[in-house]
Amino acid sequence: MIPISFSNVSGGYGSLNVVQELSGEVAAGQVLCIVGRNGVGKSTLLKLLLGYLPCRSGVVTICGRKAGSMAPETRRGLGVSYCPQERPVFDDLSVADNLAVMVQDGRLAGYRHFFDLFPVLERRLAQRAGTLSGGEKKLLSFTRGLAEDQPAVVLDEPTEGVQWENIQRMADIINDRKAGGTAFIVVEQNLSFAELIADHYLIMDHGRCVLTGPHTGIGRADIVKHLTV
Amino acid sequence: MDPLIITQILNILFGVTTLAMIALGLAITFGMLGVLNLAHGEFVMMGAFCALVVDRAGAPFLLAVPLALLVCGGVGLVVELLLIRPLYRRPFDTLVATWGLSLLLRKLAEAGFGLGFNSVAVPLAGTTTLFGTDYPTYRLVLIVICIAIIAALFAWYGTSRAGLKIKAMVGNPDLARALGMPVKRLATTTFVVGSCLAGLAGVMVAPLVPVHPYLGLDYVIKSFFVLVVGGLGSVLGVVAGTGVIGGLDSVMSALFGSTQAYFTVLVVAILFLWLKPRGLFAHG
Amino acid sequence: MANLGTLVALLVLPFAVGDYWTYQLGLYYLYAMVAVGLGLCWGQAGFLPLGQAMFFGISAYLSAILLKAMPGSYLIYLLLPLAALASGVLALLIGLMVFRRDGGSGPFFSLITLALSMLAFQIASNWNSVTGGFNGLAGIPSLPGIDDFRANYYLAAVALVVVLTLATWLYRAPLGVLWRAIAQNERRVALFGFNPHRYKAIAFAVSGFFAGLAGALYAPQQGLVSPQVVGFAFSAELLVWTAVGGRGRLYGPVLGTLLVGSMTGEMRDGVPYWEVIMAGFFMLVVLVFPQGVIGLFTPVTDRLRRSFDRARQRARIEAPARAEVAAQEPLTIEAARVSASGINILNDLTVAFPPKGVACVIGPNGAGKTSTFNLITGELPASAGSVKVGALDITNQAPYQVARLGFGRKLQAPSVFPELSIGDNLAIALWSNGARPLDLLRLSLRRWSSPIIAELAMRYAFLGKEESPASDLSHGERQILELAMALAVQPRILLLDEPCAGLSADETSRAVDVIRWAAERLGNAVIIIEHDMALVRRIADRVMVLHNGALLAEGSVADIQANPAVQAVYVGGQK
Repeated sequence: MIPISFSNVSGGYGSLNVVQELSGEVAAGQVLCIVGRNGVGKSTLLKLLLGYLPCRSGVVTICGRKAGSMAPETRRGLGVSYCPQERPVFDDLSVADNLAVMVQDGRLAGYRHFFDLFPVLERRLAQRAGTLSGGEKKLLSFTRGLAEDQPAVVLDEPTEGVQWENIQRMADIINDRKAGGTAFIVVEQNLSFAELIADHYLIMDHGRCVLTGPHTGIGRADIVKHLTV
Repeated sequence: MDPLIITQILNILFGVTTLAMIALGLAITFGMLGVLNLAHGEFVMMGAFCALVVDRAGAPFLLAVPLALLVCGGVGLVVELLLIRPLYRRPFDTLVATWGLSLLLRKLAEAGFGLGFNSVAVPLAGTTTLFGTDYPTYRLVLIVICIAIIAALFAWYGTSRAGLKIKAMVGNPDLARALGMPVKRLATTTFVVGSCLAGLAGVMVAPLVPVHPYLGLDYVIKSFFVLVVGGLGSVLGVVAGTGVIGGLDSVMSALFGSTQAYFTVLVVAILFLWLKPRGLFAHG
Repeated sequence: MANLGTLVALLVLPFAVGDYWTYQLGLYYLYAMVAVGLGLCWGQAGFLPLGQAMFFGISAYLSAILLKAMPGSYLIYLLLPLAALASGVLALLIGLMVFRRDGGSGPFFSLITLALSMLAFQIASNWNSVTGGFNGLAGIPSLPGIDDFRANYYLAAVALVVVLTLATWLYRAPLGVLWRAIAQNERRVALFGFNPHRYKAIAFAVSGFFAGLAGALYAPQQGLVSPQVVGFAFSAELLVWTAVGGRGRLYGPVLGTLLVGSMTGEMRDGVPYWEVIMAGFFMLVVLVFPQGVIGLFTPVTDRLRRSFDRARQRARIEAPARAEVAAQEPLTIEAARVSASGINILNDLTVAFPPKGVACVIGPNGAGKTSTFNLITGELPASAGSVKVGALDITNQAPYQVARLGFGRKLQAPSVFPELSIGDNLAIALWSNGARPLDLLRLSLRRWSSPIIAELAMRYAFLGKEESPASDLSHGERQILELAMALAVQPRILLLDEPCAGLSADETSRAVDVIRWAAERLGNAVIIIEHDMALVRRIADRVMVLHNGALLAEGSVADIQANPAVQAVYVGGQK
């Protein structure tokens, strides 16, 4: 069963189609990296996949079920976790509450592994999440999303503002989980991070796919050409 | 202490706690859902009429409580689904639509019960001696019940996991949905709870005020003033707002009479609306 | 024209309906005047006063006091308009004071007017020596020469038609267009150099005056003024009438008042649940049929008017050219800091834009590009630093003040006024630099055009379809329309935020030509935020790269492409 697939998806805001007829899929244990300059529609594509924006055309399938017009909270129930690019945490809640809010018994035992890798989070458990730096918020969001332990994970620019050592640890965690069969869709601008995890690339420009293929078939130069100014 | 002063203090306490009770429901719907429900007072009015119906039927007064919860909760549910939900994030339209709703509910009450003033027999008639002063027992009980309900709600909101989810949902609804929280259902529940609180408050004040279709109007205006003065989205705000508006109202009533008190409250509220619309304790 | 017909109809009506209805209608004509004012605020300018009865009542009391003081004196005909004007002035003051505050014209304004009206009720009920307290002022003499209900009826009918005529004029004048524009997109209006608060206050003042005029005539007509005339219940009824009749059209509130209002008087006792039905109907109108009852007729009347308008083709008038400015001066931002909720969006940004030519601002997400524009046009306050044009400091001025200095701006998402015609959209841009405040009352300004618009219309034929509403346009056409509006201002400095977002390759290339052409024709400075490097390469004389709210690099396109720091920002580094 394919965790997430989408075919001929178009959509956007108001009168504007930001994303135009994009298709792709990610198999279990694989990472699909979506790259492209800002403003080309990467985040919009994720919002279409997660149900925050309606698709004007095309089909999104999550864990074998057609998502149709399902609300985001329903899609999560199909087996996909999402860490958004903007406002990635609950600013008004403490770091501990951010992690505990959807855990059944409200305990943080399941996060031990993450605390060992990102000790900064454990140190700040009592702090209001709104007071964290941008990079720390991203770590918190990443930790919360990965710990949900669902078959598919969607990450929107997870490394924005995160320092390199922690970026490498994030890559390690993703690669561990890949081995366990989790599928990832990652929107990323940091090419070095993408190279650590990607199995497939989907390179976007002007809302369309300009290049797609396996990691092995696409060289760094091809991607850089589409990323830089 | 002078018994007269103790009576006045108890009156002020009574005024503040009942106002807090009414403002609380409004604070929940306004602060959490961003819904400016101009018909909130009519839910208070419906609660009061529930008490009237029970009283006229000769049934025990306490029966009015489940009746009011049923009526106000039921109407609240229907209103949320049909009227409020399509208008979320359109504060202006919500304002006009709930204004229409308040009109409709008032006219319905008018059609059913007429425009006249009705009275409900006071349960727990008689007085209790407190610090050497006789004070109506029912009022004392109400003060205690109001404080208990408000404290319980705050404690529940502050410590329970449901409270946590509500805070998460209010602060960042998109993320809450990504985590699988049923945002729409929580919103409906929140609105129904707010309506029920209003109904409960209506039952409580029914024996002390003339019950008539326009009963809710003054309460809703005062409650809005509480929120305006206190600021939205914080517990402290509701308490502070009630303190200022309720306290001002009660103190001015005691000193100069109810008209002057009403006048002062209006002027203070207008000044806040104009100069400090985010209130004393607004955050964010 | 329609008003003349109305006048004739109203004057003839008493012969058809009999004495009782003549008397009743005379009263409801006065109420209709108040409703017209409410429709003007709510349906045109887009804000909702909930205490309109206050203005009616205040003038009614003033008029009653005057009449009692000088019974039979003809001087009263001079004083009554002043009594009406007092309400207008009061409304103007309230509007000026409230609209400029944080709460603006949203729900808080509505609540303020509601509270004020309740305050007025308290004063009227308790100030016994002046208002007669709860019982009000009775025995008010009628106006000299107006001695029976028939004469009163005619007076009210004429007053209503006067109000309708004034309103017709205002709706058609540029001022009315601006009101509708403010209701649709207040920010956009401010960016054209109009102070939206002031224009809303004027709308509120006019509505207050209409209500005051009605109130001033109410006192002699009814002979009794009691606190109910300033009260909440009357305000509520006015709102229902206006909404049910149709707030968006001049005749809607009149229709609502005469239909619902006067019928309620009859039906209240006869038809069970009449008022319940009306309240339910009101909600229905609010939720699903905002055009109101008049919306049933407007498709027909609009078609009639359009064919009438076509019959007499009106020539366009050349708008006055922009006053020549001495010389183009550079725009400089120095050490500007902008923060929101504790985070610095702009971090000591220092950048100078040359006085002529096209500069492109690029940078990754969150670099502060749009915030820089917002800082320049006065929409984001700087906590430190300065923004200057030449030697002129414009730091932290209001957006409309900045716009008047010759700034044009195109917003990221196309922000035209969808419910106005294409012609009106463009005309607003022309008024922004050529119209004096009083000009906004002249109907001829609706026909303004300019050579630039004519030249743009040659490139884009749809700009010539002046009568069709902007909402009919596609996304790409809206982008072009907004660009045309920004150019029509003939700005000294033109700020374009992703002008080609969402345009096809072909449309983009045409738009680039237009921008190039305009920059040369106007000889001005054009600053463009752009992501599309292909476009930047074609258009930019100079490129500024922003990163983390500060200037990272500046130079020619080639310089930027050769700059390793810039490339690192885009690819993402390892530290």
